[in-house]
Amino acid sequence: MSWRREFSKIQELFRRSELGADVEEEIRSHLKMEEQEHIESGMPREEAHYAAVRRFGNVTIARERSREMWGWNSAETLLQDLRFGLRQLRRNLGFTTVAVVTLALGIGATTAMFSVVNSVLLRPLPFKDPSRLVQLFETEASPGDFPLSGADYLDWQRQNRTLEATSLFSWSDSLSASGASEPESAAVVKTQANFFDVLGVRPSEGRAFAPGEDVAGKNQVAILSYGFWQRHFGGGADTIGKSVVLNNEKYTVVGVMPRWFNFRFATDIWIPVDMSPKELGPRGNHGWFAIARLKPGVTLGHARGELLAISERLEKQYTDSNNKVHAVLTPLKDTLTGNSKAQLLILLGAVTLMLLVACVNVANLQLARASTRHREMAIRGSLGAGRLRLVRQMLTESVLLALAGAALGIAGAWWCVRVLESVKTIPIPRANPVQIDGSVLLFAIAVSVLAGVLFGLAPALQTSESGMNEELKSGSQSVLSAARTRGVLRDALVVAEISITLALLVGAGLLLRSFAHLRNADIGINPRNVLTTFINLPDAKYTTLAARRQFFDQLLGRMGATPAVECAAVSTEIPLQGGSNGYIKVEGETDPALSSQLVGWNYITPDYFRALSIPVLKGRNFGPPDLDRAAMSAKKFFDLYKAAQGGPMKIPPDVSFVAVISQTTARTFWRNQNPVGRSFNWNDVKVTVVGVVGDVKEYGIREKTMPQAYFPLTLELAGSGYGYLTVKTLIPPEAVLGAIRSQVRALDPSLALFRPQTMEEVIAGDTRDASMQAFLLGAFALLALVLAAVGLYGVMSYLVTQRTREIGVRMALGAQQSNVLRLIMSQGTRLTLIGMLLGSLAALALTRSMSGLLYGVGPADPLTFASVAALLAIVAMAAYYIPARRATKVDPLLALRYE
Amino acid sequence: MPKKLQAGRIELVYGALDMLVLRTLRWGPTHGHGIAKSIERMSEDALKVEHGSLYPALQRLLQERWITAEWGISENKQRAKYYRLTPPGRRKLVAETSRWERFVRAITGVLTPAKSGDGQ
Repeated sequence: MSWRREFSKIQELFRRSELGADVEEEIRSHLKMEEQEHIESGMPREEAHYAAVRRFGNVTIARERSREMWGWNSAETLLQDLRFGLRQLRRNLGFTTVAVVTLALGIGATTAMFSVVNSVLLRPLPFKDPSRLVQLFETEASPGDFPLSGADYLDWQRQNRTLEATSLFSWSDSLSASGASEPESAAVVKTQANFFDVLGVRPSEGRAFAPGEDVAGKNQVAILSYGFWQRHFGGGADTIGKSVVLNNEKYTVVGVMPRWFNFRFATDIWIPVDMSPKELGPRGNHGWFAIARLKPGVTLGHARGELLAISERLEKQYTDSNNKVHAVLTPLKDTLTGNSKAQLLILLGAVTLMLLVACVNVANLQLARASTRHREMAIRGSLGAGRLRLVRQMLTESVLLALAGAALGIAGAWWCVRVLESVKTIPIPRANPVQIDGSVLLFAIAVSVLAGVLFGLAPALQTSESGMNEELKSGSQSVLSAARTRGVLRDALVVAEISITLALLVGAGLLLRSFAHLRNADIGINPRNVLTTFINLPDAKYTTLAARRQFFDQLLGRMGATPAVECAAVSTEIPLQGGSNGYIKVEGETDPALSSQLVGWNYITPDYFRALSIPVLKGRNFGPPDLDRAAMSAKKFFDLYKAAQGGPMKIPPDVSFVAVISQTTARTFWRNQNPVGRSFNWNDVKVTVVGVVGDVKEYGIREKTMPQAYFPLTLELAGSGYGYLTVKTLIPPEAVLGAIRSQVRALDPSLALFRPQTMEEVIAGDTRDASMQAFLLGAFALLALVLAAVGLYGVMSYLVTQRTREIGVRMALGAQQSNVLRLIMSQGTRLTLIGMLLGSLAALALTRSMSGLLYGVGPADPLTFASVAALLAIVAMAAYYIPARRATKVDPLLALRYE
Repeated sequence: MPKKLQAGRIELVYGALDMLVLRTLRWGPTHGHGIAKSIERMSEDALKVEHGSLYPALQRLLQERWITAEWGISENKQRAKYYRLTPPGRRKLVAETSRWERFVRAITGVLTPAKSGDGQ
């Protein structure tokens, strides 16, 4: 019966420790019997004992093998191996320290990187059933995924059958928030009332928006982010029910989101959007975002098809506004993860390569040490340790090393992740917090065990394999065959180390050069001594165009009177920060490409070009009369717009605007003709071009320069009162910030300055991704280089020690120091060249995957390859030179006597 | 020195020792030393069995449940472990023996003509 067998197995488990003693006693009894027999046949007692032992053979082997038969001792062997391994590692403290630190660097960096990848890419979004969440976009005449038109959204919402729920939300808006403490600028996002329900996230305090709160009159409620709650309300438990004033309008706090919650924009406060068609704007206005939840069982493709059909119907129905406007559905995870996927995977790949270098390095160290341990291994082998046993012993040591490295590395990674988390400016959209959780720990441990086996296996096999008896007999370093295989392995490790390091260095070099290109790229302005800050006038307080205009006029007047200010301007956009855009029509132009060409807007005061050093190339800049006329036209236009209530508008001929356009606009729409004095149609209003200015990168350094048009600020002030204040200073702008702040306070104490920063900081912000990539990859590559240098130095030193005798002989036979130097260096040089060749090939294959991150350099940039190879060659040569130099100092007499 | 002493002895093929042990135990339970002695006796000292190599083999057989073991007292009043053949062990021995005989026949068949060929 099988249960009986099982039972006896269990019994055996308990009897295992007895078994050990059993065999021992049995063998003793055997020897005694044999001895007895010999005595009986007349042998002297002592001789009988030896005869018995001789006949028996190796007692230890017999005992060990007998025990091993039961496999029971694997646990004990492990303990033994561990104890022995620890003793070994303790005894070679220098080796251990170097190996552990090397591994800790590799494992730590890999773990930290993996924890980021894990939270951003691998873990599901922390929302309810996140695989069913999508984000909605629209295409436009100009290709790309654009924000939605609110009117289209309402139609989609009504007509679809595949979506369980949809929810609209807005851009983040900077409003002055006051209430519990000093006014501060808050990032506010408006959402439909069901927004948090669609995501499936509950506030940690209070409640989410109730149905029906997204209607004018009922929408004076707010949900705070955890950060804003802490900052502004001190995290008080009684915050629910209190009010927060946003741009002079009072909102009642109904909830606080959990600390981890973050969606798309770094948001301080969510308020309900007023879902009336008037608030959502005309159909042609694309200014909203939306999320949706697929019905259970509905595929993404199915939903896409349905919404596309709906949007095609709308396209036929509203030919004016919906030309080429189609629905786009993207899994929410993709839009939140964005393009960080490629960058993260490349960094993870890079860090893995660095770990490999660390492993190779430790393998090299092990190998060097192994050669000194050969005799130890040989002795243990002759005492009855099987080959497997020896390999296991060596591997145990390796894994021990790796685990020690992992412990140190994880501690380091933990610290890194804490720093990463505290630096909120990392350009990674994280819905999940970056943290070292179970899966990361598991990963780290798996990686370190794997690393341990990886760097331990080769030396272990090698050590146990080489003829033990010969080793024992000779006791010298002249066991040629073993030394030769060891040499091949070592060469392979050196080549691997060099090639991986080269590949890493090439990657880092390419990113570094991209970064340099980005920083030196011409964005069309001079950022020196320029300060910008955002001001948003509360609608409730500044109700008329006149009031808003007066505020900005006074502000610019005060700026002009501030010491150290050269000039100041207000604009609705600043370079690199993106902006609004639309389409223009040039009289008589029929090219369809131009009708789908987006043109960016910026509403400015005249000194904008001067403050940013944008050259006026043709025609003239705006003057004060332009502003007055624009203000007048704007008022009329706005009155007509309100009277029309979304219906057709009749624009009288006295309503006309002026514009300054960028060079690209001139080239695109007027080709080689002078556009000054010509006009175009914009929202059915005639606009006359008065000047042409230099191109400016509005959307980002990497982006293509887009056509741009500038209008007088007074046009925009008819609708709302916000803008960037740009101040050109004579001294470093940070020194003037205090004065600027107090001037704004003097005008209106309730106003907050939103994110004051220098133009150089704005540029740095745009290149932050690139700088982080370059920094991280550079750090990994540099670490790999240092590791490789240490490794090469170690190998070469060891080789020199091994060849001391040979060198001694050569010198005794008349070799010069230079001959010896060449002998040693040439060996290293050959390996280095092979490694660099292989590394270049690997780099060529690998860098193609990062072309998306590069700017201004190709993935096979010869300059990068050449300079990196040169750097590596110099480092490698230096690493070889020191031991080679030492070899030339060998005293032939001493070396010969050495054996 | 040991090599000279053991000249003329045949090294055991792997697995053959198992068979010899089982065979020895057919005549009744005995201890390790007894097994070693009777193998030597049976083979008229032609087979070299290092006594030490017996014990791992015994453990292997125990594990296969072809033999069992229990402590007892030997002829000269010593505590010793006695091994006994089990029914599966007996079956194994039969199977192994016939396998061995086939093997020997085959080898002999290969070697014999070669010998006669030499003679011609």
